[in-house]
Amino acid sequence: MLAGTNSQGGVIDGDRLSSLVDSKRGTIDRRIYSDPDIYKMELERIFARAWNFMCHESQIPNTGDYFINFIGEDQVIVVRDNDGAVQVLLNTCRHRGNALCRAEQGNTKSFVCSYHGWNYGLDGRLLGIPGQKNFYRDQIDPAEWGLVKAAKVDDYKGFYFATLDPGAPDLHDFLGDVGRTGMEVLLAQGEVVAVDGVQKNIIDCNWKIAVDNLFDWYHVKISHRSAAKAGFLNPRMMMPMDQMVMLGEYGHAIGGPMISEAQQAEIDQLSDEERADIDLLSDAERAKLAPRINERRPVRKKATAEAMGPVGVRASGHPNIFPNLWISTRGMQVSLRLPRGPFETEVWWFTFMPKKFTPDQRRGAMKFISHSFGPAGLLEQDDGENWSQSTQSSRGVVSGRIPHNMQMGLGQDEVLEHPLGQKRIETRVNEHAQRWTYKCWAEWLRADDWDDLMAMRSPSPTGRI
Amino acid sequence: MDAGERLALQFDVEQFFYHEAALLDDREFRAWLDLVADDMHYWMPIRRTVTRDNLDQEFTKIGGMSYFDDDKDDLVMRVEKLEAGSAWSENPASRTRHFVSNVRILETYRDEIAVEAAFHLYRSRLNGKIDHWIGKRRDRLRRMEQGSQQEIQPGFQIFQRHIFLDQTIIRSTNLSNLF
Repeated sequence: MLAGTNSQGGVIDGDRLSSLVDSKRGTIDRRIYSDPDIYKMELERIFARAWNFMCHESQIPNTGDYFINFIGEDQVIVVRDNDGAVQVLLNTCRHRGNALCRAEQGNTKSFVCSYHGWNYGLDGRLLGIPGQKNFYRDQIDPAEWGLVKAAKVDDYKGFYFATLDPGAPDLHDFLGDVGRTGMEVLLAQGEVVAVDGVQKNIIDCNWKIAVDNLFDWYHVKISHRSAAKAGFLNPRMMMPMDQMVMLGEYGHAIGGPMISEAQQAEIDQLSDEERADIDLLSDAERAKLAPRINERRPVRKKATAEAMGPVGVRASGHPNIFPNLWISTRGMQVSLRLPRGPFETEVWWFTFMPKKFTPDQRRGAMKFISHSFGPAGLLEQDDGENWSQSTQSSRGVVSGRIPHNMQMGLGQDEVLEHPLGQKRIETRVNEHAQRWTYKCWAEWLRADDWDDLMAMRSPSPTGRI
Repeated sequence: MDAGERLALQFDVEQFFYHEAALLDDREFRAWLDLVADDMHYWMPIRRTVTRDNLDQEFTKIGGMSYFDDDKDDLVMRVEKLEAGSAWSENPASRTRHFVSNVRILETYRDEIAVEAAFHLYRSRLNGKIDHWIGKRRDRLRRMEQGSQQEIQPGFQIFQRHIFLDQTIIRSTNLSNLF
């Protein structure tokens, strides 16, 4: 427990929080990865407040289809109700709190509690209480005891999110330009459909270590050296020198390789069909047929390019929708990093394929995807090992006091603004997005509620950074 | 097949599985690859907790997501990765023990044999990490000519290994070992 802990509710005061993340100096106090009070605050002030990714509409296409997900450690049932609407219900009976749904997914007509048989409809309404007349003597009003629902549910083009906080802004405003640009990465080749199966495994690391890695183009050459040696990764792709970072309000960010203006101008000349064809070429074929659109950078279709904006379309790094939704560069997967205490994270990988893909295209894409990420992925195998050790070392008394260095590129770059308003940093490998994520993280923890957060949040940076 | 032939086949298959397990546990991955046929399909679907009404959703199907969906080239790549020295999840090296039991020969057709077996893969990693993976394997073996150039004893190659774990969420940092 940290000194300065407020005994009323175990909340750590604002000054203390600010000192944990020194974004001017570029240092992070490692206790943010190990302190149980900070973890508790994260659940209350970040996860229970933010919009959290639930699932894609195609995962629950029919009435009664459900998928279990989490908002922090609150378990929720995401279910399609009788009107075709998506409901997000807390998975806990109003009587004794038992979990109504103990499967990960499925189809049902209603949710019947296995403890005393309270029966809830797909919209969460309490439909039946055994013994309502004989035992409760009709002194209970089922209308008052329906399942607790998420405060707001909304989707971004088929990707469902929910928030437990009625004070939250709308999803559109929460995502902002950078968050929406990030979501569009998933739609690079148009509408998508979920592939059956979410990969899930538990890594003994703090969830933030797993999040900050997604912007990290510094580790690839070292962490994933064996994947390159085995011929899985093209070594040229491992540390692209030209990088772009976009920083959005509330902590959303995109960081990674950049499509140059000249490359994008080439792409702009192509029809959607040509773009889709190039996007699927192997490295070698691509180098031959489309030499100026090099590397394996995404070639997004016209409507997506427009939605991403003139700057966003050139970002081919990984977006993070704050707090914990990683979108892969190739736009066919998202990953949730679900907190399970300071020392454990559940990593979930969802996969989506463009509806237009032919079976061959789908097979090719699936092959690359299933060999990259997930616990058996040639890349992710080694990530888990590093994240685990980075987290566990914060347990040591003296080790735990040594700050992490997050100084790469600090004060060396300039935020450039496009005439249409989108901002970006064009630079080399850097830690801008990580610093931004932690800076915003501290603001979320400091804020007492959404009004407070909206008042104190940092605007997307400008000028020297 | 008469009883004697059945007994001999059962013996050969079991001995083959023990030999294979020993190669993996002794980190003789190249020698293990020699037991893998060129048309190998090595696959581990995702298993989910489902109600009895929804048991059809328990495993993902071929073409859905999985943990492994490998052909022989992919397995060669995994072995090359293991040998690279920079595969940090396996350097320091893990200690594994592959147990195979409940071996049942389901079907034989010409030189091919369908076998189901239970497995228990134990892994001890660094000084404090212990993993157990238990499940069922559906293997297909092809009998090789005795004394063939590869001199494989007891004379099979694997051309299908479908691995069905008994756990749903993988409670391990990774799946960096071969099953």
